[in-house]
Amino acid sequence: MNTTKDDHSSLPQLRYKKGDLIIKEGDYGLSIYKVIQGKVQIFTESDSVEIPLATLTAGEVIGEMILLDRDISQRAASVRALEDSILEVWHPSMLSNEYKEMPSMLKYIADQALNRLVRMNKVIAKLTRKQQQNAMLKRKDPWSPQRRFYRKQVDLPFVAEGIDSNQKDRFTGSIKDISLSGAGLEIGSKKLAFPLQLDEIIVINTTLPNKKEISVTAQIISINQGKSPGTLLLGVSFTELSPRASKDLGFFLLPA
Amino acid sequence: MDVKQFLYSYIAKEEYYEDQEHIIDEGRRGDWLYVVLEGQVKVKKMTPKGVLTLDTLQKGEIFGEVSLWLAGKGVRTASVVAEGPAKVGILDTDQLLKDYESISPRLKSLMKSLIMRFADTTKKAAILSVET
Repeated sequence: MNTTKDDHSSLPQLRYKKGDLIIKEGDYGLSIYKVIQGKVQIFTESDSVEIPLATLTAGEVIGEMILLDRDISQRAASVRALEDSILEVWHPSMLSNEYKEMPSMLKYIADQALNRLVRMNKVIAKLTRKQQQNAMLKRKDPWSPQRRFYRKQVDLPFVAEGIDSNQKDRFTGSIKDISLSGAGLEIGSKKLAFPLQLDEIIVINTTLPNKKEISVTAQIISINQGKSPGTLLLGVSFTELSPRASKDLGFFLLPA
Repeated sequence: MDVKQFLYSYIAKEEYYEDQEHIIDEGRRGDWLYVVLEGQVKVKKMTPKGVLTLDTLQKGEIFGEVSLWLAGKGVRTASVVAEGPAKVGILDTDQLLKDYESISPRLKSLMKSLIMRFADTTKKAAILSVET
């Protein structure tokens, strides 16, 4: 940081390198800064998480709270240089006469805008924390990004039966596609000794190509004619997937 | 909050709104400034996820300053909707701009910067709500 005098004004200008901290939250300070050149970021910290609040470029002013009758001398947020920047420093005493003469209505509008800015900053802080928490949850559960979107084409023999495990309603076929939330099953309609119904709950047993045997409980959500004659396509949605089955299936579904 | 006495000399017109009636429509042109005189109003913004309520303004609070001071834009950046019956005052823009011309360049940049930051922060809050 270097202090220099500008040719056009008698006001001190400060030069900051990219990454320099200009104001630290909680510090005592009265100066108001105007960005002359470069780009700075206002941010706050909450539970040691950094929350960016705003990015300011040439012409914008930082530290105006001091002037606007706020009874605070501690900095409400930190500011750092995002690029090499030049800032002009104003001491509030320089502005106090001008400020006294400022029409009450304009003071009032500025004060209101500041109030609402502070409220919006709180909203941003809350949302940023929530977003970071969500990101952490996602990291803990590596399958969640694939869960909704990833569906793999397969051809796996399976054996299924009704939830009450009656030997009579056992049927076999082939799993044509599978995801962590459901599967498409092809069965020979002639082999069925009983009518399948929508919403029926079945237990499907199969062996994945990685040799893992899995057993899942699923609900039939669609029944359609299959591509080849004499076949039916069942759409099923998994209702119960043990943590182990979820892991084995998850590994299998990982993009190669 | 009470409505400050000096505000009344700026009020050009008073308007009444029914519950859920729009006072300002996002995206429409306009540069009137308003003050809430009775009741309360909500600030709402359209997002890809639907309408988002960003703030609630009470008696005495000002709205509409973004389109007045962010030069050349004059486009409403959010909607303001009455929450229950509300009475608002429309402020005399000519008088406000005359006041603004009378202040020092430093105070002008301070005020403009503040309003710009308020507008940016509002936009950012809306974007974050959609992502979260």
